[in-house]
Amino acid sequence: MIDVRGVSKSYGSVQALNDIQFQIDEGSCFGLVGPNGAGKSTFMKILVGVLQKFDGDIQVFNKSVKQNRQAVKSFIGYVPQDICLEELLTAKDNLMYFGRLYGLSGEHLRKRIRTVLDQIGLSDKANQKITEFSGGMKRRLNIGCAILHEPSLVVLDEPTVGIDPQSRHSIFALIQQLKEMGSTVIYSSHYMEEVEQICNSVGFIDKGKLVEHGTMKHVLHKHRSASIFVSADGIGKEELSLYGDTIEKKTGFTVNCDDPLLTMGKMIEQFRQSGINPERLELSQARLEDIFFYLTGTQLRDNG
Amino acid sequence: MWAITIVELKKKLQDKGIWFWTFILPIIFIVGFITIFSGMNEMEPEQLVTQIVPGYIIMFTFFIMISMVITFIKDRDSGMVARVASTPLPLNRFLVGKWLPFLIIVILQIIVLMLFGVLVYDLPLGDPLALMLISLILAFLATSWGMAMSLLVNTENMGIALTQVIALGGAMLGGLWMPLEIMPNSMQLIAKFLPQYWALEGFQSILQDGGHVMDIWLSLLILLGFGMIGCVISVFSYPRFLRQSRS
Repeated sequence: MIDVRGVSKSYGSVQALNDIQFQIDEGSCFGLVGPNGAGKSTFMKILVGVLQKFDGDIQVFNKSVKQNRQAVKSFIGYVPQDICLEELLTAKDNLMYFGRLYGLSGEHLRKRIRTVLDQIGLSDKANQKITEFSGGMKRRLNIGCAILHEPSLVVLDEPTVGIDPQSRHSIFALIQQLKEMGSTVIYSSHYMEEVEQICNSVGFIDKGKLVEHGTMKHVLHKHRSASIFVSADGIGKEELSLYGDTIEKKTGFTVNCDDPLLTMGKMIEQFRQSGINPERLELSQARLEDIFFYLTGTQLRDNG
Repeated sequence: MWAITIVELKKKLQDKGIWFWTFILPIIFIVGFITIFSGMNEMEPEQLVTQIVPGYIIMFTFFIMISMVITFIKDRDSGMVARVASTPLPLNRFLVGKWLPFLIIVILQIIVLMLFGVLVYDLPLGDPLALMLISLILAFLATSWGMAMSLLVNTENMGIALTQVIALGGAMLGGLWMPLEIMPNSMQLIAKFLPQYWALEGFQSILQDGGHVMDIWLSLLILLGFGMIGCVISVFSYPRFLRQSRS
């Protein structure tokens, strides 16, 4: 288990993290989401032992980050937001380099390099220099360098920034593999749909504070409310307001109500009787991004 | 640690700039200044060679600081420093791993330039043990200052500017460009506070006067002291440097 106990961090007068507390179960995939500058990277840097001065503590599999920093580092694989590779070296040499930094050597290291190259889909590019790689290939190798030593905890800080859909898909598949192998994954992103897709627990961070956390199911259930989207000729806000709180949107109306399924049935009946043929009549669920906006008043993409 | 050293050495071998600063430019300066000064009859040829060759060797060893600053700042700004700090590699091994390639380059630089002096200008080498010791300590000093500078400065430009001040200012005031005897007393006093002066003293004692280790012990001790200051500054500057690192 990862147990975050009252972690606070200041940079001068700026409070980057303010009394962060939560737990992550072993083997789970935890999504840490928040806008840029919310404190995600600061938290990651503390967790992986790069930032050493902070208040509170983090227990990683029963070892304190403060007291057993070197030991904790050995079972964490950190994928930073920036691509940290030696540009003048080949993919294989980069893996060799990071493998040695994690204490691997000899045949075991060579075997791990072959396995990881296969996992990240770069076996045929092993001897190519990084300068010849696309952004997506570099991102995959960036992850490869962090999983060589088979870490129990993989920390990924915005691993899909600026890459094509194919590479993104490949990274998701890799994370899925890690989950299946029993690794605990912490995934930081401001792409909410990614987090919703791959994580089974989530924490919202904004202005250094953890505003909500829990299993994905719990958070979605707690804050998700359904609504009905209607777009039709011959019907306006006044008529729809009979069914619930109605908000006019660009292409139609959103009707918020307590029992959307029942309400939708009533609407369909009324439309049939009135001869109205709606272009769109949809039941829509609030997404993670909507929940974050509701909780913090911060629009992620505006900052991303 | 060796992983860092090997990778850094591989990178340096591909860096044409470092070859220019380390070997080509010093040779141009040595040849140029010996040619200019040999036209004047105020110095004996051997005295001229034992002034200019070690003088410019000492001056150009400090230029390694430029390469060190560029390397460290690049690694800091690319996030590589934070990435390596997230591995179990201890801090001292990281610093030593990064420092060793530059130390090796400076040692090679001294060897190549000395050999150039011997082959082209019949530079007398003197006691090999004393020469080896002072060369090693000079390389240690220049690279430890380079490390300290790299971890202290905020920008590459600031590091390059300060290196110029240390290398060129130290060369001028330390008597590397011209014999101190022809400089005013106040300048001669200032020179004694500079490592360049003590390095030249040591080299000249070996090359000109046939001195041995015991004859240059003070120079060795002072250079070692200056080098240790660089190491201490590096260790204390590292946490701040790490905080500045991206990612």
